[in-house]
Amino acid sequence: MSNKNIKNWQKLSPPAKLFHYLGMFLLTRTLGQQFALFWSAITSLFSKSRSFKTDSRNIIMQTFFTGVEIFPVLFIVATLFGTVTIIEVITMMGKMGFDDIVGNLIVIVIIRELGPILTAFLIAGRSGSSLTTYIGSMVINSEVDALATMGVDPIRFLVMPGLFGGCIALFFMNIIFSTSAICVGYLVVKAVILLTGNIINIQLTWNYLSTEILNALTLSDFIYIVIKPLVFGAIITTNACYQALNIPRDVRQVPKATSKSVIKSFLYVVCADVVLSIFYFVDYMNNISTII
Amino acid sequence: MFDEALRMEDVHLAYNDLAGTIFSKPRALGFFRQVEDDPQKELITGANLVVNRGDTICIGGGSGQGKSALLRIIAGLVRPTKGNIYYFGEYIPPERLTALEVAKRQVGLVFQNGALISNMRVRDNIALPLRYHKRGSAAEIEEKIQMAMDLMRVRDEADLFPHQLSVGMQKRVAIARSWAMDPKLLLMDEPTAGLDNYNRRNLLPLIDNMRTLFKTTIVIVTHDLMMSKELDCDICFLHHKVLTDLKSFDYWKDSDTEISRELFRDLRSSG
Repeated sequence: MSNKNIKNWQKLSPPAKLFHYLGMFLLTRTLGQQFALFWSAITSLFSKSRSFKTDSRNIIMQTFFTGVEIFPVLFIVATLFGTVTIIEVITMMGKMGFDDIVGNLIVIVIIRELGPILTAFLIAGRSGSSLTTYIGSMVINSEVDALATMGVDPIRFLVMPGLFGGCIALFFMNIIFSTSAICVGYLVVKAVILLTGNIINIQLTWNYLSTEILNALTLSDFIYIVIKPLVFGAIITTNACYQALNIPRDVRQVPKATSKSVIKSFLYVVCADVVLSIFYFVDYMNNISTII
Repeated sequence: MFDEALRMEDVHLAYNDLAGTIFSKPRALGFFRQVEDDPQKELITGANLVVNRGDTICIGGGSGQGKSALLRIIAGLVRPTKGNIYYFGEYIPPERLTALEVAKRQVGLVFQNGALISNMRVRDNIALPLRYHKRGSAAEIEEKIQMAMDLMRVRDEADLFPHQLSVGMQKRVAIARSWAMDPKLLLMDEPTAGLDNYNRRNLLPLIDNMRTLFKTTIVIVTHDLMMSKELDCDICFLHHKVLTDLKSFDYWKDSDTEISRELFRDLRSSG
């Protein structure tokens, strides 16, 4: 009976055959397989046997693990990064006489680009790698196979909570990163000014900074605050789970898979960031044509 | 046909099908792959097996002959290169042959190392599939867990983690976990490997209980040939990539085949 099926796809008409080979080409690539894994994690939400209690507990655990435990590191990184950015932007732009684009620069650097990317890097380095080792050890101890033979879908039980937990955590962490970079960063700048007796010679008030930033924010920024973390979270967790599930049954492969997971997450996140930023480039082009 | 639990027809398996899990790669890949016909690269060539409902059989053979791989094929964890498998008279086409689909037909597998989920207590390990599939209310699930733990005598260890248990205990918990799902066909991978004589003698009556009380069909992969005598069941061998016919223990012991000479040598000499 399997022979009959194989004959069927070999007897396809030329356009269908082309379509078939395109599909096979995509599915044999790593990226295509990762997208397939992402897709099956999404569709596993609608599978028949669903137990809301188990799933919600898994997702909450994963969110907690991804988000809350990384908070101290993220907070410190965000604060110091925000401090440095504010000081550099204000001093440099003040010298050059471009006082009116301070808000624009801070929005571009912190909220638009580096906030989501740094958050994604931190979470890829910490939670992506630990997700890979977690699932990878389960693969090696054949716990994943055991789950499957009990009828528990490993993609639903392991990958889906990681995916959703990662996206939710990255979304909130990104907001926390941006706010703490700007607000706490401002406080630290003030503290530096107080402690050093304004040796860096900055005149900075909260009123000035907040109005500049609020004026610079556009609607597209708010859309991207939502979209970027979700895309990055999906990329990081899918990649981590993909690398873990592909481990051959060999303990030495776990560290390899972990490093691959982290490095490839960095690569994919930056690539996705460039693709998402094309919208802004188009926006700039439109503005230039109106100015001219 | 209707009292068959399992039927395998001409199952082939190549070595490179064993790598990785089937959950990472899209299913279509394995289905459309070109079939290799190189007998050198094959682990199992043309296995045929029929198991009737309620029967218990053993699969023996030397190490590295692919006994566990055969069991993984039956459980759907490895897709055979070629061949058909029928579960309870129902044919599953190769594009749908996954472990999840097989598990829906109430087929359970006990792994060689137990494969308990290591971050869950024994109680939660047994309850995991029941809760996931929502088999009854919380009280019913609790009752089922207690029954399973009583059957396998692991009740005192209910709140321990798997790494706190001995190997024999882990194996018993794994059997309890499979039993709790009411399997009609239970596959066991080396249930007695790594057990001392005392534990082994305790385990065999438990398996015997299961098949007499619950009419479970059991397929046991083992290197422990005395087990088939003690359970009074037929045994077949995976020898040089070929699965032999099912014969009784005494037949193998007295026959003059190569398998008998190799594997039953010390049993014969001890009488």
